[in-house]
Amino acid sequence: MEKPATAAGTGAAAKSLSVVLRDIVQEYPTPGGNLTRVIDRVSLSFDQPGINMLLGPSGCGKSTLLHMLGGVRPMGVDTPTAGAVLIDGVECHGPHDDAVMVFQRYANRPDLTVFDNVAFPFRLKLWKSLVPEVEWRQRVAEILKAVGLSDKLGLRPAQLSGGQNQRVALARALVLRPRILLMDEPFGALDAQTRDEMQRLLIELYQSWPCLVVFVTHDVTEALVLGDRVIVLSTQPARVADDFVISEARPRSATWQRSREAQALEERILEQLHQASPGKGQVRVTV
Amino acid sequence: MIEFWNPYAPLASRQRRLLGVGSVLALLLAWSLVAASGLVSPTKLPAPWDVLAALSYLSWHEGDSMLLTATLWSVGRLLVAGMLVIVIGIPVGIVMGAAPQVNAALSPLVDPFRSAPVVALLPILVMWLGIGETMKIAFLFIGAVVYLIPMVRDAIQAVPQSYWIGARDLGATPWECIYRAVIPMAMPRIADAVIVAFSVMWTYITVAEYVNARQGLGQLIQNARRFSAWDQVFAGIIVIIALALATYQFMAWLKRRLYPWETQQ
Repeated sequence: MEKPATAAGTGAAAKSLSVVLRDIVQEYPTPGGNLTRVIDRVSLSFDQPGINMLLGPSGCGKSTLLHMLGGVRPMGVDTPTAGAVLIDGVECHGPHDDAVMVFQRYANRPDLTVFDNVAFPFRLKLWKSLVPEVEWRQRVAEILKAVGLSDKLGLRPAQLSGGQNQRVALARALVLRPRILLMDEPFGALDAQTRDEMQRLLIELYQSWPCLVVFVTHDVTEALVLGDRVIVLSTQPARVADDFVISEARPRSATWQRSREAQALEERILEQLHQASPGKGQVRVTV
Repeated sequence: MIEFWNPYAPLASRQRRLLGVGSVLALLLAWSLVAASGLVSPTKLPAPWDVLAALSYLSWHEGDSMLLTATLWSVGRLLVAGMLVIVIGIPVGIVMGAAPQVNAALSPLVDPFRSAPVVALLPILVMWLGIGETMKIAFLFIGAVVYLIPMVRDAIQAVPQSYWIGARDLGATPWECIYRAVIPMAMPRIADAVIVAFSVMWTYITVAEYVNARQGLGQLIQNARRFSAWDQVFAGIIVIIALALATYQFMAWLKRRLYPWETQQ
């Protein structure tokens, strides 16, 4: 297990980084006793900070891939069935400290205040031993300021809007200064305007803490607005259908979004998705 | 007036109270009418005023309150058994809920007792533990803990997995996931289980005090029955219902104070 990046207060994430998914196959047992293949020989590698969008139809196994990167095993089954996840060349089994996830829902504890939600990791043995209390208190205060919740420290999640709740989740992830940030359709449940705000916030936060972001979405526009790289997955079992780089600097203006380049990319993605999942209209295009 | 047949319509608290008090008064009125009419003999149904008189007699007579003494004994037994239920039942339920292996091993031992005739266990307990306090506490304990354990287990299992995954992802050890994420989220439902356990114990208190009790509300009722003092039997039953209700109200209030976030979700 790698030591997490705890280089305190330098404001720069580790520059060298290597995350490799090698020939990943994932199968889950069905209630009938058979096996369903969810992911079929997916190989991907990431070797520098950047925002990587994993795009695919609903239920295509994107989240399963993300969980694998984060080392969580929600189903109680061995993951991956075949293949390997390598971080800095080391095969990783189970949870590791390099990656932190942001979920679409349920991530915030309704019984804890905003401050305690963000400080939650530091109540755990692992982080308690790595970060002294004086430092984490300062870090929590800083990140809450960065996400614009400094005046909401004492409130509980039920007293916050959906966007504010997702800010809390982002803050809790980034307060650990992770080398890898995994986002599982984090803005999927938000209204369009809030989603735009959150996308802008993510870009700002990324600029002050450039790490490897793997961002799962089924929203083509979101992929184009945020991604340095877009990876399109096919429907179940998931395979890599397309993988390309967007070099336009962020934040990407509305003009760029209407440009011929963006239009061409959008069409390319949609075409891939239609080929990947013929007859299924599960992909959302906003704006 | 709010429309009928609409389970989602909010009823004003004043209206709710009015309807509740009204139905209790209606029952009292019907009871009084039946008793006053002489249709039913007082040896079968004592009149409300006779029950009231019995209550006052039991509360204070010749410088002594039989009712208070009996209540203190019953409450004492209930508290001791309740403490045991909490101290033993909650951890067992949590471990069963948190570890499927333990659940698979223990649930065949626990679950059937939910529908077992616990009252039929009484003679066995008498045989094993004698007729003293141990037997009474053990009976109350068994009667309540077989409800509490499965409820606590279900409370643990009902916590959305995402909290567990979230904690795991942040580097929590398996035990920290349970202790720091799952248990706090299950607490409101565990509190519900404790409330149910106390209600169950109130229903069993008379049975527990059936055998060789010298004190307690169950004994008071038992004794009154032996002398066909039906007004006192009714008085005793009403006191138990009132105490059970007060326990419930207090614990429900405490739960709302401790876990205000539950209803805000």
